Amino acid sequence: MTGTTAFWYASRATGIVALLLLTAVLVLGLLITRRGKLPGLPRFAVTGLHRNLSLLAVAFVAVHVLTAVLDTYVHIPLLSAVVPFASGYERLWLGLGAISLDLMLAMIITSLVRGHLNRVLWRAIHLLAYVSWPVALAHSIGSSKDLQHGPMLDMAIGCMVIVSLAVIWRLASAARQVPRAGRVADVMARHDTATRYTATRYGRTREEARR
Amino acid sequence: MTAVTAEDRTARTDPRTPGLPRLLPRTPEDLRAHLARHGRLPYRGHPGLLIGDVKAAGLTGRGGAAFPTYRKLAVVAQARGRPVAIANGAESEPASHKDALLLRTAPHLVLDGLQLAAEAVGAAEARLYLHRGASHEVLRALAERAAAGTDRLEVTVAEAPPRFLAGQETALVSRIDGGPALPRFGLPRVSERGVGGAPTLVQNVETLAHIALIARYGPRWFRAAGTAAEPGTMLATVYRPDGQCTVFEAAIGTPLRDMLPDLAGTQALLAGGFHGTWLAAPRAAQLTLDNETLRRHGASLGAGVLAALPPDRCGLGEAARVARYLAAESAGQCGPCFNGLPRIAAAMAELAGPKPRSRTRQDAERWAALVTGRGACHHPDGTVQFVRSALTVFAPELDAHQRGRCSASNRRPFLPLPDGMPATEEDWV
Repeated sequence: MTGTTAFWYASRATGIVALLLLTAVLVLGLLITRRGKLPGLPRFAVTGLHRNLSLLAVAFVAVHVLTAVLDTYVHIPLLSAVVPFASGYERLWLGLGAISLDLMLAMIITSLVRGHLNRVLWRAIHLLAYVSWPVALAHSIGSSKDLQHGPMLDMAIGCMVIVSLAVIWRLASAARQVPRAGRVADVMARHDTATRYTATRYGRTREEARR
Repeated sequence: MTAVTAEDRTARTDPRTPGLPRLLPRTPEDLRAHLARHGRLPYRGHPGLLIGDVKAAGLTGRGGAAFPTYRKLAVVAQARGRPVAIANGAESEPASHKDALLLRTAPHLVLDGLQLAAEAVGAAEARLYLHRGASHEVLRALAERAAAGTDRLEVTVAEAPPRFLAGQETALVSRIDGGPALPRFGLPRVSERGVGGAPTLVQNVETLAHIALIARYGPRWFRAAGTAAEPGTMLATVYRPDGQCTVFEAAIGTPLRDMLPDLAGTQALLAGGFHGTWLAAPRAAQLTLDNETLRRHGASLGAGVLAALPPDRCGLGEAARVARYLAAESAGQCGPCFNGLPRIAAAMAELAGPKPRSRTRQDAERWAALVTGRGACHHPDGTVQFVRSALTVFAPELDAHQRGRCSASNRRPFLPLPDGMPATEEDWV
């Protein structure tokens, strides 16, 4: 690796990590329903993980874009990072990247100032994730020859499968949602069972607890 | 269950402050007695004119948030459309009785305030939002006023369900619009788009009663009691360590010891109610009844509930009971709230019992941090404030529980809590 190729490699590497992170962010976002749960993580912590990973993904995307611009092998104007189809090189695929980045920025900025926004507006903008991620994936596969075969292609397909499964889960969970008024009672009953189980280990015998 | 009967909720005032009581008469006043004491309603004749007086008086909202009243009035007055003015008498905190007492003994002061505030913002409608089975005194007062023709705007009564969040501003708007009393996200603000999309003024009934007095006697009179930063008097529901409950009208800035003489000998003070803060008793005994002082110790007045926990009760047990109640009262709309609060409540129940696991405390703290700021309304934040301060103040008790001991000799519950929890949509209507 020489000085001239360092930016290129950095751009490729951060691009792939960014794709994996964005996939994770999208899946976590899909899991944030009232029933979403990851093993070992409280339900409501999924939100925090989603938020932190999305900020990390943006950092990777930023490095990915900057290193691509700084790389001198092909000329990519900085403007083309945010203005779609402004690059002479790989006009279509880099244009998709710019679209995806713009949508991402809209989501990040509205989320950072969510407290000052109309809730409906925030949600409408956040739904752009379902456009942004497929566009980013198309950008990745289209602009990178080695993502079109071998283990890298398997990885891209793996991302698509995981996202599809998460979408199916989301739609299915929407179908079996507990009515609002019963939700708290539902959750409390679950925790009461857990508390009773704890009580059997600390103090009472199992027989007493069963009665 | 601690007996807190209606007879216990007697009005007391500090005799050392001259001119008190301002709000609470000794016995319920009818319209004739009210007019004999305070004179006719000083309508200003034009919207906006009263707002300057309210600003000069420095009145803050007495429903719990202590927001400057004039700013709310000004925003609603300037918003587009004909506003709706609402007196919020749905005192939803089970431990607070000050609004109920005010509506029973001085209903006309509240209704005067509603008329004057409605005039100040140029309201086209006036509503009175009350819990089912609210005192008949206020309904009789409305009839008296209709017969005497004192009111320029007719007041319609709306009913609040017996839910902790029913008095929350956005829940109130939803209920008055015919829906369930559920909070929604804060924007657009109720002051810009509330009932029926109209700009809506929601004021606590005590705030309105103060407005009625400011309109009559002026800002200077109002500032004769209280501190420079927080002028006036306030109503406080005080639980003495013997379980007796009294509503005080006190000048803001009054030493807490004056209302709770045996405070130093108690275990801890709960300031601000169930969304409030536990304070260690020796520290609380040095404090005064104002937000300026309390905020320095991480607490606030809220809607004015002060409860001194006697030394023979288990603070963790009390905190666990309240945490469970608050979890059950989650509206079930925001995931972090209705998944997180029951989990925190279950952790508190374990900590209140014998030999809790050592990691449960860290879990409760961690979960508390995760739900903070993640709700449409203040409910998760307020609940976490209560739980965290309990874990801090009752830390020695927690150590004892981990060794399998509890210092409490009296197992009877201290803080008042209603029975049952909401189960159907009907419970929110």
